[in-house]
Amino acid sequence: MRAQRMRRTPLSVILGLLFLSMAATSKCLGKYHELLLQLRRQADHMQDTSTLLDPYIRIQGLDTPGLKERCRECPRAFPSEDALRGLSRQGFLRTLNATLGLVLHRLTALYQDLPEAQQLVGLNIRGFRSNIHCMSLLLRSSSEAETPEPTQPGPGPTPPPTPPSDAFQHKLKSCRFLRGYHCFMHSVGQVLREWGESRSRSRSRRHSPRRAPGDTAPSGPCRGGARRMWPFRRDRRLMPRGHLPR
Amino acid sequence: MALFAVFQTTFLLALLPLRTYESEVLSEPLPLTPESLKVSVNSTRQCLHLQWTVHSLAYHQELKMVFQIQISRFKTSNVIWVENYRTTVKRNRVLHWSWESKLPLECAAHFIRMRSMVDDARIPKPGFWSNWSSWEEADAQNSLGRDPLFVFPKDKLVEEGSNVTICYVSRIHQDNISCYLEGVQIYGEQLDRSVSAFELKNVSFIRKKGTNVFCKVDQGGALGGIVLFVSMLEEPKDFSCETQDLKTLTCTWDPGSDTGLSKQPSQSYTLFESFSGKKTLCKHRNWCNWQVAQDSQETYNFTLVAENYLRKRSVSILFNLTQRVHPMTPYKLFPKNVGATNATMTWKVHSIGNNSTLLCQLELLAEGKVIQQHNVSIKVNGEYLLSELEPDTEYVARVRCAYTNHFWKWSELISQKFNTAEAAPSEAPDVWRNMKMVSGHPTVSLFWKPLSKVHANGKILFYNVIVENLDKPSRLEVLSIPAPARSTELTLSQCSYQIHVTAHNNVGPSPASVIVISGGPGNEEVESGRVNGTEDGFSVSWKPQSGDATGYVVEWCDGPQDLPCVLQWKNLGPNTTSTVISSGAFRPGVRYNFRIYEISAKRMAHLLETKAGYLEELAPSDNPQVVMSNLTSHSFTLSWKDYSTESQPGFIQGYHVYLKTKAGEHCPPAFEKTVLPEDSVCCRHTIDNPEQKTFVVENLQPESIYEFFVTPYTSVGEGPLDAFTKITTPDEYSHILIRIILPMIFCVLIVMIICYLKRQWLKEKCYPDIPDPYKSSVLSLIKSKENPHLTIMNVNDCVPDAIEVINKPEGSKIQFLGTRKSLTETEFTKPAYIYLLPTEKNYSGPGPCICFENFTYNQAASDFASCGHFPVTPQAPPHQLGPLTSPENLLKALEQNYMNSLGEIPAGEANLNYVSQLASPTSGDKDSLPTNPPEPALCSEYKMQMAIPLGLASAPPSENSSLSSTTLLGQGEHYC
Repeated sequence: MRAQRMRRTPLSVILGLLFLSMAATSKCLGKYHELLLQLRRQADHMQDTSTLLDPYIRIQGLDTPGLKERCRECPRAFPSEDALRGLSRQGFLRTLNATLGLVLHRLTALYQDLPEAQQLVGLNIRGFRSNIHCMSLLLRSSSEAETPEPTQPGPGPTPPPTPPSDAFQHKLKSCRFLRGYHCFMHSVGQVLREWGESRSRSRSRRHSPRRAPGDTAPSGPCRGGARRMWPFRRDRRLMPRGHLPR
Repeated sequence: MALFAVFQTTFLLALLPLRTYESEVLSEPLPLTPESLKVSVNSTRQCLHLQWTVHSLAYHQELKMVFQIQISRFKTSNVIWVENYRTTVKRNRVLHWSWESKLPLECAAHFIRMRSMVDDARIPKPGFWSNWSSWEEADAQNSLGRDPLFVFPKDKLVEEGSNVTICYVSRIHQDNISCYLEGVQIYGEQLDRSVSAFELKNVSFIRKKGTNVFCKVDQGGALGGIVLFVSMLEEPKDFSCETQDLKTLTCTWDPGSDTGLSKQPSQSYTLFESFSGKKTLCKHRNWCNWQVAQDSQETYNFTLVAENYLRKRSVSILFNLTQRVHPMTPYKLFPKNVGATNATMTWKVHSIGNNSTLLCQLELLAEGKVIQQHNVSIKVNGEYLLSELEPDTEYVARVRCAYTNHFWKWSELISQKFNTAEAAPSEAPDVWRNMKMVSGHPTVSLFWKPLSKVHANGKILFYNVIVENLDKPSRLEVLSIPAPARSTELTLSQCSYQIHVTAHNNVGPSPASVIVISGGPGNEEVESGRVNGTEDGFSVSWKPQSGDATGYVVEWCDGPQDLPCVLQWKNLGPNTTSTVISSGAFRPGVRYNFRIYEISAKRMAHLLETKAGYLEELAPSDNPQVVMSNLTSHSFTLSWKDYSTESQPGFIQGYHVYLKTKAGEHCPPAFEKTVLPEDSVCCRHTIDNPEQKTFVVENLQPESIYEFFVTPYTSVGEGPLDAFTKITTPDEYSHILIRIILPMIFCVLIVMIICYLKRQWLKEKCYPDIPDPYKSSVLSLIKSKENPHLTIMNVNDCVPDAIEVINKPEGSKIQFLGTRKSLTETEFTKPAYIYLLPTEKNYSGPGPCICFENFTYNQAASDFASCGHFPVTPQAPPHQLGPLTSPENLLKALEQNYMNSLGEIPAGEANLNYVSQLASPTSGDKDSLPTNPPEPALCSEYKMQMAIPLGLASAPPSENSSLSSTTLLGQGEHYC
């Protein structure tokens, strides 16, 4: 496990630096498929629980019977795969960008708990958002362009005052949040995997609900649970919530 | 009862004056009751905080009082704590008191009440308690949420090793609630229907993120938990203070491990000096600086206090400042005036106070080892002359200093490298020579060993070789050979030479090494011996030959014999007769030859002895190539003369000849039975002379199969077991037969060759083509009959004519002689003729002649189809043809019929067309019967014929004549 993490660490750093560099220079890949492939790969990498969740569970001592199961529950804070699939492409990108922005904010609060992993994941998320931005520009310039909308989530409602949670509750919530993050990235990867085919088949503004045949996406961190969350209707535009439960 | 009334009256009377005094001191009546009691809960510290006042006191009045506090849990009757709190009370002053609960306050409601009593010395009378205040309830459960299960205390910071009580509050009132400490179930005590408590004893630090304790309803129900933060504060170790300049003290310590809990910051360290009463908060975990006071304080008593939220730990030291001086590291250490054998080192030190003296230690290191050590007392500048140094050598000088008044510690070291200057080489090179003749001229190879670093005194640049002819005065020949060459070759004449070799570096030459080469032949025939190798090398000894030897030299080659010789030598003193030759190049199984030379007073070398030896003998690695010869029925010879015993991995002591017989039972004499490694039995003969390289295997059985194999052996063992060579001994008489048969075959061949070469002669002599009638035996036979009518026909009398012989196609069956095939298969459709034609053209004789066959001589006329068309009398039965197929039968027939009258056979019965004969019937010789087959009918060759009487030629059919198929001539019907 440790060796596997050690192998992944340089890759994460390189990917993160690469994407950061791209974002800094504002240079976007002009080819749709290349950009889509890159997004898929990033999503596949970010859904890997060994980058964030597993070390967190180990460090917090949650890898004991009775607690480990509580970490497997995917919180309903993240959009489900069905909800993501029901969005338009621009809407999907906006939601993705907003959600990841909130994740990034939440990860900053976890810095004390996971200093190294938090930094790497933060780089990955920033790189991913940069590619989202590029994809949004690409889609906007294409025939299926929509009305330009900001990629950053709006301010959203002010979070309600929550009683100060104790350390135990904080551990469990953070654990579930990380689980939800990986689940969400898995769903994102699934939806992105359908993009390539649906674009080649038709230039529909909506995603195809069908799964791509022969989909070789890696098995996700959660199965089934996330699909029930955020049950947006197909035509309903998904707006970012602006905050995630703590 | 009366007694009691008396006692009461007395007591009241006594109390009256006291009451009067009290009224003077206290303006308010007693007792003083606590009022405004308020209880609050501090969940973080798990404390109940009480505050109250005493209003009954007069203004500016102070009174010592004692308050008795009762605490009950769950219900007022369940008192768990009673404590008397003594304090001084003022009017309207709020009093505070706290109580820390072991059981988390959230798990149970607590009830508190108190009462008071004056406890002041100014009131001599004994006090009495006031009334109890009303019960005040402290219930932290009211602030809990709606979760079904709670565990307390939340996020408690405890010290490692302490005991902690945790509890849970269940709102679902179920019994199936289990609690776990780091996944291990723990068991506690049920305090209430919905509350249970667990005591964790001697808690230990597990991780910085805290120890997880949780409770849950079984089978995936509600979950509640807490995190215990276990703090650990170690006592600082190795606490000490020292100064480098008597101005600042530096105290250091080992803080131990830091739990680094997020719940609390790292422990803090405070340095406190008791004499001055000063203290400072240290900025670092393991060291702290302290400014020395200017008031000449010499003694210091420091206390280091380590502190966190939960506890403090401290250590103290007491010392005199001047005994804790640790000088600073010296600086500016340099060599000065560096020569070949000496150098001066200079350095500086930081001054300590006024006129303080430092003791400095100067060490000199060569190749990492301290070779010199000197102590120098200095104030600021240090200097020392190092001597007895080696030229051209790298040294390291290092200096450290200590406070002279009170030694505490050496300062840190300062080091400096330097090299001494070069000097001329101090020793002559070790020279040796190897002599050989090249094209008739003595050629000397000079070798020398490089000087050791100790003797070279610098880098050797070149070697000078000076050659001086001792026999006739001549000019010195000087050769300069640049380093790092270690040899040179000189071609000399048949004279004696003296050779000087010197090594040169930048400074000058070394002493010369002198060697004398003799012009005459050396002593090559010397005693040879063996030398045994040991782990240390070869122990070589020799016998001195002359008394004036100035030394000895042992010479050898480091490598194996088949490699170029790397000449090695060892110089030895004149009184030495043995030495041990050791070399890292020596290998087991390699033969080394040592040559011992005696060096005469004239520096000439004479060969004394040669020795050969092995560092470790090994078994032979290969076997000789054996040639088998002289194979007889009883013996054969084996030889392996090409096998070299010198190049073997051990001294060859002999050979083993293995012999396998087919039977394997009996060994020939001189052989003994032995068992081979593969458990087969064979015969073995041991040859114990390594120079005997032939062996005759005798006493063998003829026509037997033998297998042999020869292997050498050393003291370690024999060679590898190779394949046996198989031979078969020949038959005992075969050689005799060969001696007879071969000459016979040769003779036969000679005869055949002669016969072939003389075949014409033989033919003429033995079987001429045209028999000479005069030599015919028939003639003699005729003569013996004395028949005067018979004569020999002369060829010259023959008149050539043509005759025709017609074979009538009567459709009769005819058979060919020899094949006896029925002619019905080859029926004649035309008459067969024999033509007798004139032969003028071919005949060169005196007259024409008719040529035809005399079938009397024909043995196999039917073998030729072209000439076999002979008409046969139809009456002649086929079986009568047979006897004539052989000459013997024919001769018999001739002999038999010849005696009969020719007229016995009627001419008409022959039913033949007569053919003419060249000879009279009386002529002929039965001994010269032709054996050649008849020529074809078209043959025009003239052949001598013999006339045969008709009676002889044609037998009646009734007589079963064998000549029925032969065309014969009738008497008097000659066509000549």
